[in-house]
Amino acid sequence: MRLTGLTYIILTMLIFTSCEEVIEVETPSESPRLIVEGLIRVDQSEPFLPVRIKVSLTDNFFGEIPVTNLDNILISYQEIEDGVISFSGSSTLAEIAPGTGIYEPDPDFFDDQRIPTVVTFAEETVFNLLISHQGRRYFAETRYVSSVPIISAQQGNATFFGEDDTEIIVLFADQPNKDNNYIFDFAFNEYLVTSDEFYKDQLFQFSYFYDRQFEPDTEIEITLMGADRNFYNYMDQVIEQSEASQGVFQTPVATVRGNIFDITDLDNNQVVDNTGRPELFPLGYFAVVQEYRQKVTIRE
Amino acid sequence: MSRPARHLLVPILIFFLFQVQAQQRYTLSGTITDSSSNENLIGVSLLIPELRTGVTTNEYGFYSITLAEGEYEILVTSLGFQDIIRTISLNQNQKINFQMAEEAEQLEEVVVTDKTKKIDIRKPQMSVNTLSVQTIKDIPVVLGEADVIKSLVLLPGVTSAGEASSGFNVRGGAADQNLILLDEAIIFNSSHLFGFFSVFNPDAIKDVKLYKGGIPARYGGRVSSVLEIYQKEGNSKEFKMSGGIGAVASRLLAEGPIVKDKASFLIGGRASYAQLFLPLIDIDNAASFYDLNTKLNYKINDNNNIYLSGYFGRDKFNVNEQFVNIYGNAFVNFRWNHLFSNKLFSNLSLIYSDYYYGLELDFVGFRWNSGIQNFNVKYDLKHYLGDNLQMNYGINNIYYIFNPGKIEPNNPDSGILEDQLTKKYANEAAAYVDVEHKITDNLSLGYGLRVSHFARLGQDELYVYENDQPVVFDPFQLVYQEATPIDTINPGRGSTLKDFFNFEPRVSVAYAFNDDNSVKASYNRMAQYLHLLSNTSSPTPLDVWTPSGPWVDPQLLNQYALGYFRNIKEGAYSLETEVFYKDIENRIDYIDGANLIANNAIEQVILNGEAQAYGFELLFRKNEGRLRGWLAYTLSRSEQRTPGRPPVVDNGRSNLETGINFGEWYSTPYDKTHDIALYGSYEINKKWRFNTNFIYQTGQPTNYPVGQFEFEGLVVPFYGLRNKERLPDYHRLDIAATLTPRKKNPETSWKSEWVFSVYNIYNRMNAASINFRQNEDTGANEAIKTSIFGIVPSVTYNFSF
Repeated sequence: MRLTGLTYIILTMLIFTSCEEVIEVETPSESPRLIVEGLIRVDQSEPFLPVRIKVSLTDNFFGEIPVTNLDNILISYQEIEDGVISFSGSSTLAEIAPGTGIYEPDPDFFDDQRIPTVVTFAEETVFNLLISHQGRRYFAETRYVSSVPIISAQQGNATFFGEDDTEIIVLFADQPNKDNNYIFDFAFNEYLVTSDEFYKDQLFQFSYFYDRQFEPDTEIEITLMGADRNFYNYMDQVIEQSEASQGVFQTPVATVRGNIFDITDLDNNQVVDNTGRPELFPLGYFAVVQEYRQKVTIRE
Repeated sequence: MSRPARHLLVPILIFFLFQVQAQQRYTLSGTITDSSSNENLIGVSLLIPELRTGVTTNEYGFYSITLAEGEYEILVTSLGFQDIIRTISLNQNQKINFQMAEEAEQLEEVVVTDKTKKIDIRKPQMSVNTLSVQTIKDIPVVLGEADVIKSLVLLPGVTSAGEASSGFNVRGGAADQNLILLDEAIIFNSSHLFGFFSVFNPDAIKDVKLYKGGIPARYGGRVSSVLEIYQKEGNSKEFKMSGGIGAVASRLLAEGPIVKDKASFLIGGRASYAQLFLPLIDIDNAASFYDLNTKLNYKINDNNNIYLSGYFGRDKFNVNEQFVNIYGNAFVNFRWNHLFSNKLFSNLSLIYSDYYYGLELDFVGFRWNSGIQNFNVKYDLKHYLGDNLQMNYGINNIYYIFNPGKIEPNNPDSGILEDQLTKKYANEAAAYVDVEHKITDNLSLGYGLRVSHFARLGQDELYVYENDQPVVFDPFQLVYQEATPIDTINPGRGSTLKDFFNFEPRVSVAYAFNDDNSVKASYNRMAQYLHLLSNTSSPTPLDVWTPSGPWVDPQLLNQYALGYFRNIKEGAYSLETEVFYKDIENRIDYIDGANLIANNAIEQVILNGEAQAYGFELLFRKNEGRLRGWLAYTLSRSEQRTPGRPPVVDNGRSNLETGINFGEWYSTPYDKTHDIALYGSYEINKKWRFNTNFIYQTGQPTNYPVGQFEFEGLVVPFYGLRNKERLPDYHRLDIAATLTPRKKNPETSWKSEWVFSVYNIYNRMNAASINFRQNEDTGANEAIKTSIFGIVPSVTYNFSF
């Protein structure tokens, strides 16, 4: 369990004693950056990976995020065992409809560009993402990370933030014999990150509180995803920044940077890193992770 | 040995030799106490006007001065007490104890030309502010709870991060850089309820002194300031009780003799009402605090005094039993004052102190206990060598045990495994010599040297990293990441992982042009071996202290200050102005997204940076009359940076780093360009007294997003370089009226007063923060301003008998 959220709890308590007001603020702007939403959630019972990459451009905080389109986008994958490539492949993506900024395996290609799920059955499959956009090239590399099923998810009666809370009690078993990080998707854009540091190889149960009540018979689908340390840190920061947990206990804001980086100028000879161009970077993340889903039906 | 240190030793030796003089000289010494309670009086001036010399009593009320044989008129004077004038003929060593009577007793209707708080323009000590307990009690504060730390903020060079923020910031320094001493014991967390109140019970306090610069060599271990607080010893003449009933907490203090004039006790308690915020929140929560001060004091004979003091404070914070948080300080302190001779005063302190932090999270089945313990031995000697030379020297050793946390399941079904995060051990030792030297009537010097040694002792588990770098830099993504340890070793408790040795010279000089004008200058170097891991703009109780060690270097400060001081109209007014510059090496900074809580390898998220601050301070006081008060103005800048580390050759390539925030300087959260504080106290008559303060501060540095992006449905503001924007300016006006009812029966000892106060009278909703988020209902992005206190009226009732 990561405890950074605790500061948020204290902050929340302080906010209760204080007064909030929406104000007009002029925020600064900078030239647009590419945003890549590249989380691929793998259900191993399906035949193909649900590849769907969304691209857009940053805008002023109070503006609209405009979609953009790419010159090229390719995902390649391979597994290396004892220094030998045991398999490899690639998938060319195409925009599903002009102006959507959403890219999926190109159905018009001469052969099937979909990525079969079997490639994730291997121990350590590596995926690469290669993008060309407005004259610049971007690259990311990620390793497939497995997950575990949710044993149970049940509604509880406890409250935390207030009388209107809804408690969901989640039980799962940590994947044995390795360090694990998990990301829970509690729907409604609510996420939670946790690592097994304090419950290695155990059955672990915890309560999640929605700060609201649901109509009876509402079905909530909870997803448990695996994550490597880097993606776990990324999601932790994304969650924290989107919750606006600044304030009296304000943590220094971080530009939440993902694993995709600009490779345009790298020639591996004169220019071997990006330290000379710190301002040039895209946002977003590319990850391929396993997921398990579990439904909870609200009683009463 | 560093060069300035070597240069200092020579004059110390020379001046020592100068003392061997042929003339017949005798020593006058003794203690000065309050006649009503036998309470030792600190900082009382004993003056010999004809020689234009004098001495002040030390922290235990002792004075000593050596003069040539002769007949002298002696003036003993202290704020709030009647002067004592006595003629003595000094033809042998003499011990005279003075008892001073409180001034207020004799005053009737008119008057009000009592003692002026004349600034000591000849002493080399500068950058010091004292606050009398009465002033602290008079300053209007939120909810009427008199508060030491909230009062300090009215002084130049002192700010706080806001209304609900722990600690205070001195000259652009962080809150963990303040050495807070309560009866010589180190206090690690000075706040109750996350900063709404401070841990010091004003009824039990005798003296408060804040050193912002020119810090004497007897203090060390923190780089920004020293806040020295002494508690009362307890009345050894008669039994007394005092107390108060306030909007937040109630206080009760009892003191009295155990053996009349020889032994006394003091016990004071303060407790907040449970469920403090209950009326404000619609959920089942409780936030409360209490603290207990105790003191025993025994005067064995003229040359020996012993004191036993204790403090115990706790905060409890409980949300629906799901989240329970308990924390607080405790210490026990045994002190022995011994007079070796009428010129040599000594104090031995044995202090055990502990800071505890506990947390229970029922929703994850988790309990967490952490803390710091320390054992502190101090031996301080004050050597009064003559009327123009005083020497202080001593030794100090502190042994620390840091418990970053023990994690336990809180119920049998919990999946949490019991885990003790690796405890850390350290020892800090120091020796110092500190000289106050009057060269001529107009020129005084203070110089000293502190030598400190810090040993980070072995621990059970220690990670080993490739290239000895616990933080790695990704040269493509340009982010710092936690390194994966390549090995774990067990160095054992007996070993030393790393040690540090520092020379800390301190120099100050005062030149008085005449009785009313002087200039002073000072330099001090200091080392701080402990760091508060705090990634927030003001400390939270969750923050953990960590010692310097293999990857964390001690903070090293150089501070320079220059000041001009003036007494106007015989001290009716005084003016103090100073400029300062300071730089700090090895100020720790955190990599983006660093997790500091329950992190067993904190070195993986820390980089050593640097900090600097400079500014101008002005304090103009009106010291006499019915209307008194001051105006404090500070113009300053405080910033820090963390450039990339020197390149390491790795795989034949040398990796450059960009540093945190691209290695650029950025404003610290305590960078307030302008800081104005106005405090006034007006006594209409014996019945009514008014106090008011006005504060204006430049808004705190903050961040506005330079853009936004979406990821998995979350709208994420993203930020550019740190702390580029500011919150709106902070200002407010507070007023308090104190009603002292006329005694119906003049014989009774019952005294009481009512304090009516209004905090933030024009109800300015000062921004504590501005947050950026997506509105959950409309989906539109919005900026939210959070304010803590609007207008807050309150009533407090104080009594004593």
